[in-house]
Amino acid sequence: MNVATEITTLCDLTLTEAAEAVAKGDVTSVELTEAALAAFENREARINSVIWLDREAALETAAALDALQKSGAELGPLHGVPLAHKDMYYQAGKLSTCGSKIRADFRPDYSATVMDRLHAAGSLTLGGLNMAEFAQNPTGHNVHYGDCHNPWGYEYCTGGSSSGSGAAVGAHCVTAALGSDTGGSIRLPAAICGVTGIKPTQTRVSRYGVMPLSFSCDNVGPLARTARDCARIMSVIAGHDPMDPTSSAEPVPDYEAMLTGDIRGLKIGVPDSYFLDDASPEIGAAYDTALEVLKARGAEIVAVALPEMAAIATYGSVVSRCEGSTIHAQWMRERPEDYAVHLSGRMYAGYAIPATHYLEALARRGAILRTFAAEVFGACDLLATPTLRWRTPTLAETSMEVGGDSAVETFMNVSINTRPMNYLGLPTISIPCGFDDNGMPIGLQLSGRPFGEGKVLKAADAFQLDTDWHARKSPVALMM
Amino acid sequence: MSEKIARLVEEVAGAWSSVTPPNQPAVLLASQMEATISGFTAERGRMRFEEEPSSFEAALQATKEGTA
Repeated sequence: MNVATEITTLCDLTLTEAAEAVAKGDVTSVELTEAALAAFENREARINSVIWLDREAALETAAALDALQKSGAELGPLHGVPLAHKDMYYQAGKLSTCGSKIRADFRPDYSATVMDRLHAAGSLTLGGLNMAEFAQNPTGHNVHYGDCHNPWGYEYCTGGSSSGSGAAVGAHCVTAALGSDTGGSIRLPAAICGVTGIKPTQTRVSRYGVMPLSFSCDNVGPLARTARDCARIMSVIAGHDPMDPTSSAEPVPDYEAMLTGDIRGLKIGVPDSYFLDDASPEIGAAYDTALEVLKARGAEIVAVALPEMAAIATYGSVVSRCEGSTIHAQWMRERPEDYAVHLSGRMYAGYAIPATHYLEALARRGAILRTFAAEVFGACDLLATPTLRWRTPTLAETSMEVGGDSAVETFMNVSINTRPMNYLGLPTISIPCGFDDNGMPIGLQLSGRPFGEGKVLKAADAFQLDTDWHARKSPVALMM
Repeated sequence: MSEKIARLVEEVAGAWSSVTPPNQPAVLLASQMEATISGFTAERGRMRFEEEPSSFEAALQATKEGTA
């Protein structure tokens, strides 16, 4: 096998395959790390997924992890696996730009709990990935570090705000990456880049040391190739953190052990409204086909009526906007020109929303969740919806920097199917389920009850046992 | 109506927060607040006087997996 073939082969391993190969001594962490760094070097010009890489530190850590493996020590579930994450997860002394000009030189003096947990599980971090400025756009645009490009088509959006995470995983540069999700920012790039991504239940994962956007709606979660890979990372990062008093004390199950493939009798809900309204034909067709796959595995497909969708859409649009505008107020007064047009433009109206209305949106959130859960999850186990309602737009079609009124509308519509789950706080995964007429991946969302990540992952894994959408390689992943 | 909303946003954001319209898309997005206002108007009457503060976290627990 020549060097290029060997690197490609290593990069095509899934996260769980890579971890098991290291544990068995079939491959070293240094070899995986060198392969990942070579993949970034060769593919980056096509995706622009990276803000910074620390090659020396990564190779040094990989060598130390290899020494530990050779010593016979007990290994963590991610031992030796190189990862890279959205550039908003603090590591003491390391750069964390948050995709912004304002924090271009920001080096926090403490580390995020999720980073500590990933490192304690044996993974190493290659660097920080491109992202929407301050995690506030659904498309992948970034005027400061350059737009992120889709590995399936250079001119298309990657989805955001975890744009680099979606592109780097979709280009097979890394096996997995952390993203964050306030209105769809894990699920959108997962869907559009043809990978798997899960937004956990609100409060399921610690947010200590993670750049905030909206305290009520922010979530930390992984993007990876498979549901199994996501399950492994979720088992590592989920659970109460004393440093984040908002994190839940709900026990964390072994998510990977729940992936039995057996979904017989599982009720999959098909919504009667909203999520498929005016959907692109091929999105609807891929959705229908995906339901047939689940049905063939023994799931039962049931129609469900969705309550409160108007309230969810209205309230959901206000909460994160008010909270984002609040924490950025000082910079919005002092240096608005240092924000991208779409970002300052979006935050601006947040300063005029009455506090009574923001609080109404929060006050009714619990009651609306109770109604939604009773009526929807009283009739089904999981709600299935398309991640995006329309085919993937191009970067040009959604650029507020250069586009007109239609760009604003297209931009805002990208996240129309993902935002409701943030207001409701529900665990939701996006898995690949086909391609649109332009050859761009299509995503299927599966949402469950609060703290039902195990069931969501189980259904997603079962789907991936019978399909190969997640295993298809993007044109950039074929490069070397 | 949209222009009126945009002017209102400018006045309120300026008066309360000293934030001025940063660009033209900001003004356009501000004018679209009309739809959000309509959304709130449609919900009027459903926000009742609360004897005790509601809790979203309590609702997450009450509706969690395994509670069906």
